[in-house]
Amino acid sequence: MKKYWKSPGLLLGGVVLSAGMMAGCSSGDEAGGNGEGGSGGDGMSGELEIQYFVGGYGDSWWKEVIADFKKEYPDLTIVEHKGPNINDEMRSRWVSDDPPDVVYIDGAGSSETQMIEDGQLANLTELVEGIELEDGSPLIDNFIVDPDKHDGEIFSLPLVFDTWGTWYDKAWFEAEGFEVPTDFDSFMESMGDIKEKEDIDPFVTSGQHPYYFLRGVLYPAFGAAGGEELLADVITGAEGAWTSDAVLQTMKKVEEMQKAGFFDSGLGALNHTQSQMNFLLHKNAFVPVGFWLPNEMANDTPEDLEFGFIPSPMQDPGQPFGIVPDLRPLAIAENAENKEAAEAFVEFVFKRDYAVSFSEHTGAIMNISGVDLTENENVPAYLKDANAMINDPEQVQIYQKPHPMSADLETPIGNSLLSLMLGNITAEEFVEEAEAAAAEYRN
Amino acid sequence: MVQSKKQKYLFLAFCLVPTFILFSIFTLYPLFSGLYYSFFDWSGSSSSREFIGFDNYQQLLKDKIFPRTILHDYFLVITKVFGIMILAIFFAVALTQLKIKEAPFYRVVFFFPNIMSVVVIGILWTFIYNPSLGLVNSGLEFMGLGEWARPWLGDEDWALPSLVLPSIWAGIGLFMLMLIGGISNVSKSYYEAAEIDGANEWQQFWKVTLPLVWPQIKISILYIVITTLNGSFIIVQIMTGGGPNNATHVMGSYLYQQAFVQFNFGYGATIGVMILILSLITVLVLQFFMRREKVHY
Repeated sequence: MKKYWKSPGLLLGGVVLSAGMMAGCSSGDEAGGNGEGGSGGDGMSGELEIQYFVGGYGDSWWKEVIADFKKEYPDLTIVEHKGPNINDEMRSRWVSDDPPDVVYIDGAGSSETQMIEDGQLANLTELVEGIELEDGSPLIDNFIVDPDKHDGEIFSLPLVFDTWGTWYDKAWFEAEGFEVPTDFDSFMESMGDIKEKEDIDPFVTSGQHPYYFLRGVLYPAFGAAGGEELLADVITGAEGAWTSDAVLQTMKKVEEMQKAGFFDSGLGALNHTQSQMNFLLHKNAFVPVGFWLPNEMANDTPEDLEFGFIPSPMQDPGQPFGIVPDLRPLAIAENAENKEAAEAFVEFVFKRDYAVSFSEHTGAIMNISGVDLTENENVPAYLKDANAMINDPEQVQIYQKPHPMSADLETPIGNSLLSLMLGNITAEEFVEEAEAAAAEYRN
Repeated sequence: MVQSKKQKYLFLAFCLVPTFILFSIFTLYPLFSGLYYSFFDWSGSSSSREFIGFDNYQQLLKDKIFPRTILHDYFLVITKVFGIMILAIFFAVALTQLKIKEAPFYRVVFFFPNIMSVVVIGILWTFIYNPSLGLVNSGLEFMGLGEWARPWLGDEDWALPSLVLPSIWAGIGLFMLMLIGGISNVSKSYYEAAEIDGANEWQQFWKVTLPLVWPQIKISILYIVITTLNGSFIIVQIMTGGGPNNATHVMGSYLYQQAFVQFNFGYGATIGVMILILSLITVLVLQFFMRREKVHY
């Protein structure tokens, strides 16, 4: 188990910069005096292709960063490949070894693990060691969560620090006097109370994408039950991990929720936006999603709804909440045509200025420590609350997963998980099915 | 004027060569590419791939989900063939024989789903089946049949049968028009003769209409079978994504999942080859069972 925020009392790590001070700095000016390679825009020309997925975070932050980068390097032509289906749209480019220079890996159809296995990403180990932040401190020492290493080498830099948790409507809960859960027992009590008073199934998730529940609820629960070791074992499909007592006890909690009728009876048919819509309409009270939820549903959110976020409360009483960071990385293609510009862009992006504006634009967090959001009026209240909670080790324990679960393992486990949530199998049957899926995955 | 041999061949080449080139590019090349990739271990997202011979085929034989997808496909084929053909024949006969004044209006109404994209139909019916807001459950509750309401697309037992209704709804119009065309070509004198012989309308339908429109019926059935085996993936993908717990996966949606979600493109190509083989076998079997002398009166 690791703690990533170096000083619990400070938001997002040790050195807290004042928001006002940061707001006073022009990002363009910053970039000019900061970078090692490519600073001042000397000699950088040609075309730089950037591929980025546009999902719940929107694209306004990217537009700002790219516009600043253009100002910094006016001779460079920047081509943006973006959109919600961009991973599929660009697939033929990657297959034909003609990839864009920079890629932000996020969204359906993308897999960092697969890209590394296929040798599509450049080794960034040396580059990252040379990057410094505005205050001259090395970037590598200022990540909230360190980059993944594959055989000791770094192929991507974690740009977005997201975490899954459970959302509720704060205003509604306060008005109706519902309890905000603090552990599994109070979670069950709260859901029982809501079911009785409102006559609704209190918990909803996407049945079409069972990984929402797996990543949003079960990962933290496994962390709380067995620490990072268990979390790593279930993600890698280690022998006996899924049939272990800790996993079985966690799955029995899920079964308990199902037997109490707390899962939305129609969740099997819902995709993620439908489940989120149900939550907004108070057809359900809890939904497990990442930090992108408010941004993604901004156009449909009722005015009186106030987003509240807690780490998924699956832990036993007396234990801290568990959260599992979910990182979205930025990488450079191994076959990038303009590697110099690509490296300059990656270096340009990792700044505390942009970390602040990222939170303002997206309601989520960039993976850089020492960024103070407390006084920033443009940052949503839920994010400040979540940060305050996450930074308190008495309340929240952070568990890091080794890497994302392979789709070859996640898919069959998701299928069995949905069966469990629909009440078609027991917790015991689930762990047997999951163990069988893990065995097949290992082979 | 008699055409010279050269002119004749030139005309034939003018008609056939461009078509054959397009056919080769858009049908034969992808077909053989699919076959080729089925012998590789390939993620489908990079240029690196490894030749593994028949390993993907061996894996397919051991795959526990694939046989279920075949059953789901044929469940849709059978229910769609019966559902569409019975209703299309019924409507076609009604609109041609019963002298309904509003026949042109109904023709347009029944054909309307055919001009809609299958994606739109899928989304529309997803809302109709929505457990809490949908028309189906609301209608059942309105009629006092609330206990019949259920999460249609989210229920492992009901999800697949629920896909049949939109598929039939979307398919009736085209086949109804084909049959209307066939029925309109049947000479009125046959019906007059049958009537003089004392045949009632039911007998006229069985003894005159049905035999004379059999070629249209046969083509319609073959078309439904082929489009279902190759195309039901769209409605599955839009409405259920193959879930819950693989309860609605058809071969096409399973291919998509393997190739583009799980990054097993080579294995996906193997499933594609199996779809081709099964489609060919099915069509041959159907041709055999539906062979019938052309009827002339």
